[in-house]
Amino acid sequence: MTESATDTIQSGGSAATAAGSTAAVRPAPAEAIALRNVTMSFDLGRSKRMTALEDFNLSVAEGEFVALLGPSGCGKSTVLRLVTGLEQATSGEVLVEDKAPADLAKSHRLGVAFQEHALLPWSSVRENIALPFRLARRAVDWQRVDELIRLVGLVGFEKARPRQLSGGMKQRVAIARALVLSPDVLLLDEPFGALDAVTRRRMNGELARIWEEQHITTLLVTHDVEEAVLLADRVVVLTGRPGRVRHVQTVDMPRPRHADITRSAEFRAVVDHLTDLLDVDRKAE
Amino acid sequence: MRLRSPRWLNNTIGVLILITVAELIGRTGIAGRSWPPLTDVVGYLAEPVAQATVLRALTATAASAGWGLVLGIVFAAIAALLANFIPVLRPGLDRLASVLNAVPLIALAPLLITTVGRESTPAVVAALGVGFVMFVAFTAGLAGASATHQDVFSVFGSARSTTLLRLQIPVSLPTVFDGLALAAPTAILGATIGEWFGAPRGLGVLIVSAMQNYQVLLLWAAALTAALLSLAAYLIAVRLQSGAVRRFT
Ligand SMILES: Nc1ncnc2c1ncn2[C@@H]1O[C@H](COP(=O)(O)OP(=O)(O)O)[C@@H](O)[C@H]1O
Ligand SMILES: [Mg+2]
Repeated sequence: MTESATDTIQSGGSAATAAGSTAAVRPAPAEAIALRNVTMSFDLGRSKRMTALEDFNLSVAEGEFVALLGPSGCGKSTVLRLVTGLEQATSGEVLVEDKAPADLAKSHRLGVAFQEHALLPWSSVRENIALPFRLARRAVDWQRVDELIRLVGLVGFEKARPRQLSGGMKQRVAIARALVLSPDVLLLDEPFGALDAVTRRRMNGELARIWEEQHITTLLVTHDVEEAVLLADRVVVLTGRPGRVRHVQTVDMPRPRHADITRSAEFRAVVDHLTDLLDVDRKAE
Repeated sequence: MRLRSPRWLNNTIGVLILITVAELIGRTGIAGRSWPPLTDVVGYLAEPVAQATVLRALTATAASAGWGLVLGIVFAAIAALLANFIPVLRPGLDRLASVLNAVPLIALAPLLITTVGRESTPAVVAALGVGFVMFVAFTAGLAGASATHQDVFSVFGSARSTTLLRLQIPVSLPTVFDGLALAAPTAILGATIGEWFGAPRGLGVLIVSAMQNYQVLLLWAAALTAALLSLAAYLIAVRLQSGAVRRFT
């Protein structure tokens, strides 16, 4: 199953080495996101605490696409929230572009699509996508907004309000909103969760295309193993709670990866291997 | 499919029953001479002299209530914004609002007459009632944005004033108009009560003097007018509220 040459399996927790491995060839790409020995525990009151992440290490190079894969409740969203600066680590260090995570948000260079789409119910699709311009107090680039509407396949729905859209359409608006300012760092929390399989693959393709154009540093949380392998340079598999890095899978299949790659033996081998790793937890539960 | 009577029909039937019962009580005289038939009250209001008296009083009360409403809303909005931007002030402002609300108006009115004067007391009493209701509505409304919406605004680097303008205020509007539906009748009640303590004119003055002189029809005419004014204010606010819900949720 692991005969594939690209299946470079590493031991858990050594996420940084993959980013460093290219150093011999080219100058080391700058580290865009770094989580070092991060522990995150939540106060549940009555002196009870819940540890969501423990001794968690992750390094994402500039322009790299990393997917986080893990059982639900293992702390994937927590990792994303730490990177946004919305949550402070209990211990350990979180850096984005070598600075405190909140700095990137303050300078409007962060793009996030949350698990709950969180669109403004009183605004149209077009206005929702334009929101980051307004929050950055910049003139809205309507050409860019309309380009993204085309990209996520919502032409004809510009004036619709969120409640008139399906769950999948709302998620696409949230993705467009995350992309509209061409951010330095893109964080996507199960952005395709509400989509049907066909639309999901189509959106995967669109995201891959956008990414290949701009190489935005991207951290994607997903349940979908195929989606992770299709999109990511590296897939990080988390253990069950408390979340740690169980395994880091480098995927160096050539891009652009078209949908037919999902049928190749190489692709299937990686997917099967990662699915097995996820199953370890399910069996233990 | 079952046919349901529309809401307006139910409401109309309810009001008609109420009017009929009030009329019957008056006609039969079972509640004594102080409960006249409603038709007599309406007939009394049709007389030009009575009409002019009530209308003059109505104008004065409506003006006091209107001023009270505006004052109450302005002060409540300022207090709510202070609480929003300077969180340490929040507990103090909450306490102040509840204390002001807990003091009985009857106890406050003599104090007001000596400080703001007989003319302005009705508006200030109305403003006190309105201020409390609207402060609660504003603070609840401004805090009403969902955690995820707040997160979205944070991660896109929104300044606090931008978040107020583009998230908190739109989110608060249905709650604020809900508050207004309570505050509008409160303003009219407050103005009327405020007039009991020696105001020169108004429905409250009319009610007190009619009571003292046993002018039953005038008493009922004034009370009925106050009730209708209050109802009208309530209905306008409810209409605005449903508009806000449709637009902002
Ligand atoms: N603010 C919070 N307070 C308490 N517990 C939390 C909080 N946020 C997340 N958790 C808990 O942390 C764990 C990990 O959550 P999360 O990161 O959302 O998991 P995932 O996204 O992988 O499903 C869960 O058990 C969740 O209940
Ligand atoms: Mg999650």
